[in-house]
Amino acid sequence: MDPRIEKIVGAVSTVRDLLEGRKPIVGIVLGSGLGKLADAIQNPVIIPYRLIPGFPLSTATGHKGNYIVGSLGGKTVIAMQGRIHYYEGYGMESVVLPIRVMIRLGIKSLFVSNAAGGVSFGLHVGDLMIIKDHINLLPNPLIGPNMDDEGTRFPDMTRPYDPELIKLAMQLAGEMGVELKQGVYLGDTGPSYETPAEYKFYRTIGADAVGMSTIPEVIVARHAGIPVFGMSVITNEAHDDYADDYENDGEDVVKAANAAADKMTGLFIKMIEKF
Amino acid sequence: MDTSLKNLAQSQLIKAATDFIQKKLQGRQPVIGIVLGSGLGKLADEITDPIAVPYGEVEGFPVSTAIGHKGNFIVGNLGGKCVIAMQGRIHYYEGYEMATVTLPIRVMIALGIKYLFVSNAAGGTNLSYHVGDLMIIKDHINMLPNPLIGPNLDEFGPRFPDMTRPYDPALIRKAEALAEKEGIALQKGVYVAVSGPCYETPAEYRYFRAIGADAVGMSTVPEVIIARHSNIPVFGMSVITDVAHATDDEDYVTDGEAIVKAADAAADKMTLLFTKLIAEL
Repeated sequence: MDPRIEKIVGAVSTVRDLLEGRKPIVGIVLGSGLGKLADAIQNPVIIPYRLIPGFPLSTATGHKGNYIVGSLGGKTVIAMQGRIHYYEGYGMESVVLPIRVMIRLGIKSLFVSNAAGGVSFGLHVGDLMIIKDHINLLPNPLIGPNMDDEGTRFPDMTRPYDPELIKLAMQLAGEMGVELKQGVYLGDTGPSYETPAEYKFYRTIGADAVGMSTIPEVIVARHAGIPVFGMSVITNEAHDDYADDYENDGEDVVKAANAAADKMTGLFIKMIEKF
Repeated sequence: MDTSLKNLAQSQLIKAATDFIQKKLQGRQPVIGIVLGSGLGKLADEITDPIAVPYGEVEGFPVSTAIGHKGNFIVGNLGGKCVIAMQGRIHYYEGYEMATVTLPIRVMIALGIKYLFVSNAAGGTNLSYHVGDLMIIKDHINMLPNPLIGPNLDEFGPRFPDMTRPYDPALIRKAEALAEKEGIALQKGVYVAVSGPCYETPAEYRYFRAIGADAVGMSTVPEVIIARHSNIPVFGMSVITDVAHATDDEDYVTDGEAIVKAADAAADKMTLLFTKLIAEL
């Protein structure tokens, strides 16, 4: 057997044994500082990544490393409290392994979230942005022999983010009085933040927000034909020129993400209720 | 290898190389690191009372294979300061990993440098640039793999280093003032780093211009990211050895030898400027 499939199957079997018969239908990936959505999951089973064979450990600030399986919005969900980032030094195969496992566990849709820097001048710290499309500047996670059981060699990317889920989110946000932006997310490797020239480059090519994650997960989900809903919490603003005392650090990012996390949690729950 | 073991191995490699070089320096304490680009190695000749440490003698160091590059650390006096210059850098296109490409920079940081000066030969994507121009690098666009990918070396800097001011604004202002006094004309622009080793196509030149680049080269940015990770102020300069508009001509030929020659002609001006700038620090 393909050793990559063997790894996936081994992890799926370990996780399934720990689920006591629960069948998650929605997968959720929680970004930097957005892990508190996991607290809203009722009757949870917590599965630390370190108990799962082949799983790497998440080392990023604001990230734990657990699957949380339980009830949210009346459905069984599986949430990743902490994702694996490419900048941590793992191969793409490891970065997307938890997504492949959730797909094999039977999820019917994937929700992804992240903390992102605003590239568009119209985005401000604390804004929630629906990801309507992306630009991938990370290595493609499907490079290598295709795993035909998971999906096709050349997956379509015409609608990486599901238009129906976006419509539903817009409608529910309107009812809840939550303001949403929509935009294009650009994924680069990091881990150093972008230079002013890189911000300008990204703006020129049509990006609204920039981050170091999410896209590999989305590509793997779309490979398997899973509808995706994506949301960025804007934790940093674009500047045309930078004041001499301007500072940019990871701690601030985690704080800003925290403030917006409640709104995002509320919206995700309402959406999942409608499934 | 397990990523945390790889990290430990990298830390040990840096420490061993630093200890080895320190023993050769007979108590000298370099405060400024200088990376000399293709054809710009002659600045090293201006360093007085030099000690040369060939990369080949330092464990873990590769030997630079690029044209116009030697492979030595030169430690001595320049502008009244103790400097350590890299006569020859390690390029990603030579096939080395980013950890190896940036190893000499980490070693200079561990040796205690307070500033890093970087130089390179670059192609001008800005249509108003000419062969032989000197360009202050005011910002960059990185299209090479990020050298900080992997577990963070906490003893060198934070997980997510800021890149708001990759090139020190105060050093840029000083350089502009000195150049004006010396009658040296300077451009100021954005450097985009690509892997190479093939030169850029005309379409790639247009692309780089469209995204805001003024010059393009195959080095420097990994070194700058590593220096900024450790909060070392950086001053960067490109010598323009090739210009974008020419590459669309049917009879245009790019060759490495010509580039080294053009760099040579501008190297004197750059050497003078670096020396004066270092004297003021």
